[in-house]
Amino acid sequence: MIELREVSKLFGREHAVDGISLTVASGELCVLVGTSGCGKSTTLRMINRLIEHSAGQILIDGQQIRSFNGQVLRRRMGYAIQSTGLFPHWSVARNIGLVPRLLKWTPARIEERVTELMELLGLEPATFADKMPAQLSGGQAQRVGVARALAADPDILLMDEPFGALDPITRETLQDELLRLQSRLRKTIVFVTHDMDEALKLADRIVVMNQGRIVQQGTPQTLLHEPADEFVESLLGGADRGLKQAGLTRVATLMQPLDPAQAKAKADLPTVGVDDSLRLALSLMLWHRCESLMVTSEDGQPVGTLAFHDLLRTAP
Amino acid sequence: MKRQAGVMRIGVSSLWAWWVPLAWLVALLAMIQIMPDGEDIFRQIAPDNRSVIYRRDDFLTLVANHMAIVGVASLVAITAGVGAAVVVTRSWGRDFLPLVAQLASMGQTFPPVAVLALSVPMLGFGTEPTIMALVLYGLLPIVRNTLVGLQGIDADVLEAARGMGMSAIQILWQVELPLAFKVIVAGIRTSVTINIATAAIGSTIGAKTLGDPIIAGIINGNTAYILQGAILIALLALCVDSSFERFSRLL
Ligand SMILES: Nc1ncnc2c1ncn2[C@@H]1O[C@H](COP(=O)(O)OP(=O)(O)OP(=O)(O)O)[C@@H](O)[C@H]1O
Ligand SMILES: [Mg+2]
Repeated sequence: MIELREVSKLFGREHAVDGISLTVASGELCVLVGTSGCGKSTTLRMINRLIEHSAGQILIDGQQIRSFNGQVLRRRMGYAIQSTGLFPHWSVARNIGLVPRLLKWTPARIEERVTELMELLGLEPATFADKMPAQLSGGQAQRVGVARALAADPDILLMDEPFGALDPITRETLQDELLRLQSRLRKTIVFVTHDMDEALKLADRIVVMNQGRIVQQGTPQTLLHEPADEFVESLLGGADRGLKQAGLTRVATLMQPLDPAQAKAKADLPTVGVDDSLRLALSLMLWHRCESLMVTSEDGQPVGTLAFHDLLRTAP
Repeated sequence: MKRQAGVMRIGVSSLWAWWVPLAWLVALLAMIQIMPDGEDIFRQIAPDNRSVIYRRDDFLTLVANHMAIVGVASLVAITAGVGAAVVVTRSWGRDFLPLVAQLASMGQTFPPVAVLALSVPMLGFGTEPTIMALVLYGLLPIVRNTLVGLQGIDADVLEAARGMGMSAIQILWQVELPLAFKVIVAGIRTSVTINIATAAIGSTIGAKTLGDPIIAGIINGNTAYILQGAILIALLALCVDSSFERFSRLL
């Protein structure tokens, strides 16, 4: 668990972070969003003591971070950044094994862990272990960056725009993988982004910052429905919120169970998956110019229908 | 297994690649060997002189001495130069950055002859003042390149290194110096090559170098002596410089 109590950071006389209080529970994925320069990275870097906070308290599992040695603290936290910061003179495997090496694991254990992580992140060990960072694509480098952050199995993961520099498709793939990893590993994650869709998709909780202060925090749903002010509202896309909201809701929540008697008649309808978003369903309706869709399960079996007027009901 | 194959490959191909420095080395050794017997040829160049082959010391001794002086001076210059550049790029040493950069460039603008003239009263005649002049003279390229190399490292790499929990020493040895190594070696190469030529002036204050035949030649008006010193200095410089060139390609 990470707790920030009235934490401030001054650079000279400028408040980069101004009295923020924030609690990130164990296993929670907390996303910091806000305009450029609002203090997101600074907040993250105070948590692992890359920079010292000027005022307030930061606690990890109830203990002040100042009571830890900075290096020891950082080895206990994963840290991934946008530019990856991979060491250009080390192979992929050596990069990933860095923190375990610092922690003096045995070579055999390090190698085992590196292989495990590469598999976890979809990097074929035989192909990638000996590659140098310069030989990687942007997406592969990001994966290595995330693998390196996870290497010593830290409870806490700090990620500063880790998917920032990627094309939308690769980024979406990595987001899905992060969610998959998170559902398995249950790390405490603080994730910085200024992509609102990314925040809505990943977050258990979103923290909106502006000029060094926290403007609002809450679940994606709360923020969408009850934005604290115009700043949050515009950050969330203003009138686009309807679509963003639909993007967060699964088809399964609003679909009608399939009436076996009608199954035949509806066989020609365009299909949508139960786990797809309502946003995708709406897009399909617009595209096919139809008012209802067949909903199929993961293995392609029809399980229900979704009509346009279903979309207007509020989710149960 | 894979790694061993890599070493083997480098071993064979680099042996080939080293032929240029090897050729210069062979030429140097050959000259040391045959010049004493080249009386007929050198007679053509200096027909009026009684002796045409420099014999006060044999050439091998001079080459070895020359190399030793340059070697010691370079080791000191590397240690001091790299050390100073590392210190002034630490957060606690940053205040000295302008000072060190300035001192190093002054070392280079100061003519080595002047350093010699000034150091004789302090260190006397001979090898020590020569080494001191060469150290001062060779510092700038090393300091400058080490600074460029260290400052050229991607800030994100250093941020990541700190963020992973590496200590300052670990970052210096495992990240900064390896990444700056190529540029540092280039600076050392410049420094050493310049000093192989510059070391010859040590002969004016009594250090035994390849400058001896040259100085003797100037004093006695003996072109053959001058030529013998110059040939050996040139070959030595070419040999060392091309070795550095090969070495830096391995990096
Ligand atoms: N080392 C530093 N020295 C001085 N000022 C700094 C330093 N680091 C950050 N700042 C300032 O603090 C403020 C917050 O910076 P920060 O990097 O936290 O912003 P951010 O929210 O991460 O922005 P972005 O989305 O652009 O990454 C900015 O005004 C920045 O100029
Ligand atoms: Mg930032």
